[in-house]
Amino acid sequence: MNYSPITENDREEMLKRIGVRSINDLIMDLKPPLNEKLDLSKPMSELELLEHMRNISQKNKIMKYFIGAGSYNHYIPSAVNHLIMRGEFLTGYTPYQAEMNQGTLHTMYEFQSFICLLTGMDIANASMYEGSSALAEAVLLSSSYNGRNCIFIKNGLNPRYLEVLKTYCEGADLKIVNEIDHNTACVIAQNPDFYGNIENLQYMSEQAHKVGALFITCVVEPTSLAILEPPGTYGADIVVGEGQSFGIPVNFGGPYLGFMAVKNFLLKKIPGRICGMTTDSKGNKGFVLTFQAREQHIRRERATSNITTNVALMAIASTIYLALMGRNGLINVAKLSYSRAHLLHNKLKSLGFEALNKKPFYNEFNMKAPSGSLENIFSNLLKNGILGGLNLGEDNILISCTEMNTVQDIESYVSIIKETAITK
Amino acid sequence: MKLIFEYEEETTEHVPDVDDKEEKRGGEAVEGITIELPKDLIRKELALPNVSEINVVRHYTNISRMNFGVDLGFYPLGSCTMKYNPKINEDIARLDGFKDLHPLSHESCIQGSLQLMWELEQDLKKITGMDAFSLQPAAGAQGELLGVMITKAYYKQKNEKRKKIIIPDSAHGTNAATSAMCKFETLTIPSDSRGNMDIYKFKESLKDDVALVMLTNPNTLGLFEENILEISDLAHTNGTLMYCDGANMNALLGITRPSDQRFDMIHLNLHKTFSTPHGGGGPGSGVLGVKSFLAEYLPIPRVIKQQDSKFVLDYTKQQKTVGTIRYSYGNFGMLVRAYCYIKSCGSNIRKVSEHAILNANYLLSLLKDDYELPYNRRCTHEFVLSSRKFGEKSALNIAKRLLDYGFHPPTIYFPLIVREALMIEPTETENKETLDRFAAALRNIANEIKENPDIAKGAPYTKLVGRLDEVAAARKPNLRWTALSQSDGKEDNEKKLYVEKSVKNSSSND
Amino acid sequence: MIENIRFAKEHEWIVIKEGIAIMGISDFAQRQLGDIVSIELPKVGSIFRYMQSIAIIDSVKASSDVYCAMSGEVVEVNEELLEHPEWINQSPYELGWIVKLKPSNMEEFNNLMTNEQYNKFIGEIE
Repeated sequence: MNYSPITENDREEMLKRIGVRSINDLIMDLKPPLNEKLDLSKPMSELELLEHMRNISQKNKIMKYFIGAGSYNHYIPSAVNHLIMRGEFLTGYTPYQAEMNQGTLHTMYEFQSFICLLTGMDIANASMYEGSSALAEAVLLSSSYNGRNCIFIKNGLNPRYLEVLKTYCEGADLKIVNEIDHNTACVIAQNPDFYGNIENLQYMSEQAHKVGALFITCVVEPTSLAILEPPGTYGADIVVGEGQSFGIPVNFGGPYLGFMAVKNFLLKKIPGRICGMTTDSKGNKGFVLTFQAREQHIRRERATSNITTNVALMAIASTIYLALMGRNGLINVAKLSYSRAHLLHNKLKSLGFEALNKKPFYNEFNMKAPSGSLENIFSNLLKNGILGGLNLGEDNILISCTEMNTVQDIESYVSIIKETAITK
Repeated sequence: MKLIFEYEEETTEHVPDVDDKEEKRGGEAVEGITIELPKDLIRKELALPNVSEINVVRHYTNISRMNFGVDLGFYPLGSCTMKYNPKINEDIARLDGFKDLHPLSHESCIQGSLQLMWELEQDLKKITGMDAFSLQPAAGAQGELLGVMITKAYYKQKNEKRKKIIIPDSAHGTNAATSAMCKFETLTIPSDSRGNMDIYKFKESLKDDVALVMLTNPNTLGLFEENILEISDLAHTNGTLMYCDGANMNALLGITRPSDQRFDMIHLNLHKTFSTPHGGGGPGSGVLGVKSFLAEYLPIPRVIKQQDSKFVLDYTKQQKTVGTIRYSYGNFGMLVRAYCYIKSCGSNIRKVSEHAILNANYLLSLLKDDYELPYNRRCTHEFVLSSRKFGEKSALNIAKRLLDYGFHPPTIYFPLIVREALMIEPTETENKETLDRFAAALRNIANEIKENPDIAKGAPYTKLVGRLDEVAAARKPNLRWTALSQSDGKEDNEKKLYVEKSVKNSSSND
Repeated sequence: MIENIRFAKEHEWIVIKEGIAIMGISDFAQRQLGDIVSIELPKVGSIFRYMQSIAIIDSVKASSDVYCAMSGEVVEVNEELLEHPEWINQSPYELGWIVKLKPSNMEEFNNLMTNEQYNKFIGEIE
C-alpha cells in the first residue's frame, strides 16, 4: 500500500524541471548502494493488513486484572478517544509556531494546571516519557541543582523504577547510597509505595531539607491524589509520576504519561516543554512555549535534559479525561478503587491470607497466601480468565483493584480460591 | 476561549459513586466499605472543575480547530518528516487485544504482542543492516541516551578512558545535551564548504580520548556526508565508535543501509520515517539498533523466539546489559503503528524514499532562484535555504507570513550554521500541485518583502491570534491556572470541594 | 559614559570601586541579545579565571555566556536581576550590573579596552 500521491506523469514532469533523466540521477550519491530489493514481505493492502493484525492481536489474551504494580486498568470515558483522534490533535507537531497551534498549547496549559492542582505544586511541565524515566530525570535535575552526586531512596519504590534509576545513575556518575547527609542530592519516596502503603512523608522531607537535599515524591497511581493529601503539602520539592491512570489504556506498557511538577525555585531547571499564557499585540489572550532557553535546542550541552519529543497526545488525553470526570468523578474512581480493594482484602483475610501492609493502603495491597498455595491459585485464576496479582515470590502476592473490578468479579476470585483450597 | 477551570456545572456520571451497602446477591449480603483513613492523610480540598460532557466535548473540539495538522495541509518542517499518518493504523492500535493487554500479564497471554515486537525488530534489522534492536526508547533523544550509555559501558569494560564525543556543528541540540547527560564532553567539528563535516579538522580532533562520533546522515542540511566511509574507517582505526542519528532515514529506505556506511549504532524515529502520528509533540519511539558486538549491552528484557516458536521476555541472557531505561518494553502503541506501516510498504519501501527525494529536489528547483542555497549540491529528502538577503529576522517574518497563506512554515533558524535558515522537508505524501502552490507562496512573499518589508514584519494577520509576545511570557510567567479568580484575586470557594466531607474518616492514629 | 570603564572583547565592562571590580555587559551586547528573560548568576565566594564563563543570560530564543573579564572571587551578585532581568537591557551600566569581584590581579584591568578602543572595536564588527 502506497501513501504517496505522485503519479508516473508527475515524476516525468518533476524530473524534467529538476533537469535530470531519472530518479537514479538523484540518488546516485547515496552510497554504498543496495543492489537488491530489501527482503521484506510483499506489500499489503489495507484489507490484508487488517486481517494480518487481527490474527496477531487474537493471540493475546485479555484477562480480568487484579494487578497494578505500575499499570492500572481504569475506565476510560468514550469521549476521550473521539477527541484525540481528531486530526487537529493527532497530526500536528510540537507547537513551535504558536499562532498555528493554539489548540495544543491551550490544552497543555490546562494539563500543567491539572497536574499542579492534583500534586499541590507550583509549576508542571508538559509531560515526560513515563513515570520511571521522569523519576530519573528528577534525580538528574537535583544533582544539577545542588552539585551533589549521591541519592537516597526510601524502601518501597517500584522495583522496575529502581532498575531505571540505577541505569541512569550509572550513565551520569551518580551513586545510590544508604545515608542522608551533605553529599545527598535528593531523597526519593514513592507514595503510595509499591506495596500500597500510604504515609505522611513530612518527616522525610524534613530529613532531606536538613542536609540541603531535595525531596522527590513519586506517584505511580495518581487517582490516589483525589483523596490523599498531595505531596506539595508535605514538603516535596519535585513530584514525578505516571499519569497512565488518567484516561490512558494499559496498552502493554506504552505509550504512557510521565509528569513532573516542581516548586517555583526550580523553574529554571525543570526539563521538558512548558507552556505559558501571554497576549498578542491586540491584547488577545494566547499561549506559547516558554523558557525554551532551558531546552536542548538552545542550551545544547548545558541543558538539564535532552528531552525533545514528549507524550503530548497522552497529556491531551489525560486532560480530557480529568475534564470529563471532574472532581466528583475522580473522587468516585478513588472511592470505588479503595472500596473494592478493601473488600477483596477482607475476604482474603477470612480465607487465611496474611495481611502484610503495616500502613493504610489505597487500592493496592500485599498479602501472604496460605503456605505453598500460590502457584495453584494463580493457575486456577488464570484458567478462569483472571490475572490474580503480581507474584512476588515466597507466597507473597501484590493485588490491586479499580472501579473496573466489580463485586461479582471479586466474588468469582474468592470462590475460585475456595475451590483451589478444596482440591489441594 | 475559556479555560476548562472556568466551568462549574453538573458533571456527567461516567463512573458511579460507591454504595455503602451493596445489594444482596445469591443470599449472601455483600457489604460495602467506607473509606477509613487517618485524618492527616486525607486531602482537604480538590479544586478541579465539574463540567458536563457536552461542554467538555465542545471545549476541546473548538480548541482543536485552532490547530494545524498534516490532516489539514502541507507541513514542511525540516527534519520532522511530517508525512501522512494512516488511519488504519489508529484502528489497529486500538484493537482490544493490543490496547487492553497489561504489561505484566502471563507469558501465555502476550504471544501476539511479543510476536509483533520480534517481527518488527527483524524488519528494522533488514532496513538498517543492524544486528539487534532495543524497542525501549520513547523518543529519538532517549534512543541517543541509550546509545551513549552503551558507549560508556563498552569503554568501561575495555578499561579505556575516553571522555569525548565528536559532533558536527550542524548537529541537532539533542546530540550535545545527550552527551552531557552521561558526562561526556562534546567536540564540535565545523562543516566545510560542501556541507560535509570537515574531514581535516575531524582527523585533527580524532585522538585516543574520543569515544564516539555522532553523525546524522543525510545531515541536517539535507546533504549526504560524502566522506562517510573514510570517516568511519578513521574512527574505527582509532578505536572509536560510530553513531548514526537516524532522524533522516526517510531519505535512505531501500537505497542504502547505515550499517554499510559502517555505523555501529543507529536510532530511528518511528514518529518520523515510519509514519506514527506526532500528536502535538509526542508520543514517539526512538528504537536503537546496534551491531552484534554491542548487542549484549542492550537493555532487558529482550524478546526471544524459542525453538518451539514461542516468544519469551528474557531477563537473564544479557550479560553486559546497561539495565533498563523504562518501566515497560517500549511505546507499544507506536510499535504497532510502525509495524503496520512497514508491512503495508513491504518490499516496495524504496519508493517512499525515492518520492521523498524527488519532491524535495523538485521544490528546491522552484525556489533556488528566489532564495539563497548555501550549499550548491543535490539535496536528499530535505533542503536548507537562506533568506539572509532579505535582512535580519527575515526567516521569522517569512514563516509568520506563510501562515496567512494557509501553510505551516518550515523549520527556521536551524541548523545553526546557516543564517536565516529555512529547512524544508516536503515528504513523499504530497502531490505536485501542493508543491507548486507552496513555492508560489514563498515567491510571492519574497517579492512582497522586496517591495514592502513591513507587511511580513506584522504577520500573521489572518490567524485567531496575532504574533504573540514571547518576552512577556518569560518575564511575567503565567504557567498554570490557580483557584484564585483570575480577574479580582478573590478566592473561588465554590470550586474547592472539601474532600474530607466526601470521605468518611477514622480517628485512628497510624 | 562612566569614567574609567573598561571593556573585554566578549563585551563585558568593568569599573573598579574601592578595590572591587564591578562587571556587566555592554549596551552593544544587550542589543545583540534582544529581550533578556533570565540570568543564571554564580555563587558568592566562587573563584573565576579571566575568560571563564561566569553567568548565563537567556533571551527568548538564545542562551549566551557572560565571560569573566577579570580573575577573582565573587563577593556580590545582583540578585535583583532574577526578578528584573530586563534591567540588563534598560540600564546595562547601572541597574544591570551583574557581579562584583575581588580581583586577584589588578594588572588585568590595564589590558582591557578603553571606551574609545571599544567603540572602535564594535564599529568594526557592525
